[in-house]
Parts: sequence; C-alpha cells; structure tokens
Amino acid sequence: MNILTQNDIQYVDYKDVDLLKQFINPHGRVMSRSKTSLTAKQQRAVEIAIKRARLIGLLPFVQK
Amino acid sequence: MKEEKKEDREQVVRIYEAGYLIAPTVKEEDLESIVGGIRNTIEKVGGVFIAEGAPAMTRLSYVIEVREGSGTAEHDRAYFGWIKFEAETAVVGMLEASFKRSADIIRHLVFRTVREDTRAKIKALSLREVKRTDTIRTVPRKIEESVPVSEEDLDKALTDLTTE
Repeated sequence: MNILTQNDIQYVDYKDVDLLKQFINPHGRVMSRSKTSLTAKQQRAVEIAIKRARLIGLLPFVQK
Repeated sequence: MKEEKKEDREQVVRIYEAGYLIAPTVKEEDLESIVGGIRNTIEKVGGVFIAEGAPAMTRLSYVIEVREGSGTAEHDRAYFGWIKFEAETAVVGMLEASFKRSADIIRHLVFRTVREDTRAKIKALSLREVKRTDTIRTVPRKIEESVPVSEEDLDKALTDLTTE
C-alpha cells in the first residue's frame, strides 16, 4: 500500500510540496518505483508534478 | 477543408493552470496590477476562472538568476501565485507571450489540468510509520540517603584498610 492509495489521492499537484518530498531522496532525485511502491500511473503523475515543482522553484533539481 | 479543421481546433475549450513567480523586488501593492494583467489576458479570449491562489512570498529551493539590463539578478525568494481557468487553446500562446514580456515575472508555467481540485487533502505525511509495540518505561533512580560520617569512624576504616 502506497501513500497515494492510502490517503485516496486521485491527482498529484505540483504545489503539494510536502507530499512530493516523500518521493524524492536527500539528493533531490526521484525515487524508483521499488522504493515508492506506486503504480505505474501514479509514478508518472508524481514524476510530472516533481518536474513542474522544480521548474517553478518549489523543489530542488539537485541538493548538495 | 484544411481551414475548417484548423478553425475547429482553435475553438476547443480546455482547462489550464498557470503558475508564476513574481520577483521579490516588486512591492506588495503592485502585485494586484500584475495579477490583473494575467487575468485580462485570459478574459480577452473569453476565459472563465475556476480557482486562484494569490501570490505569496515563498522561499525558493534554488537561486534563480534573471537578466536585468546589463547584469544578472539572483533571487532566493519570490511571490508564487497560480490561476486555474477554462479557455480556448489560443490562450496558452498569448499567456506565455505576456509572461515573457513582463519583466517582473521571473518564471512561469502553463499546463492542461482537470476541473476538480487537485490539491491533496492530507497534512503531515510520513513515509515510514514508526510502530512501537512496547512502551518505554522510565524507572526513577533511587537516591541513597547520605548519613554523616564522623572523622573517627573514617580514620578507623582507613586504618583497617591499610593494616590488612
């Protein structure tokens, strides 16, 4: 059971930074599906949201 | 035939969301006019607003460099705002052009979305839940009461120790 299914989240929004932070590692990279345990569809939605959040400066591209 | 198809495509109404970052150098009282400009661009094409997030000062995850005249300006915070609307597809080009023209908007983002509220309804998430079956109990330390020892007893004890 993953976070999205557990909390019945249908859409992943790029503004939900706290939610998206659950899916990035300390370096700021997107975690793999084996770690997130998301479905393929959910993983794609999370990836897109993270990339949007990065572009607008809400999430880092890389974290030192 | 081709022209008809083109016309049909232009009249399609879709739901979009636009996110933008306004430079922190802008005064708070001027924010409304910038947002008003964005709203006007959408209204020009007959757009209808669905939801909106007023620009609020946000700390950025990385420093954004912006060209300003001959040099560059670095921003580590900015006013972040967003607007969700329904409009014809032509609005995207117009909106992006207006964002690029505006010197106060340092970053922007326009994409297709859905009418429903996409924000997650939960707060304080944790990936790894800590499950503790047994509770830790603290036992108060017993304080031994100190009995005053006379010097004679102390000397006696010392001599007993040394003679052995």
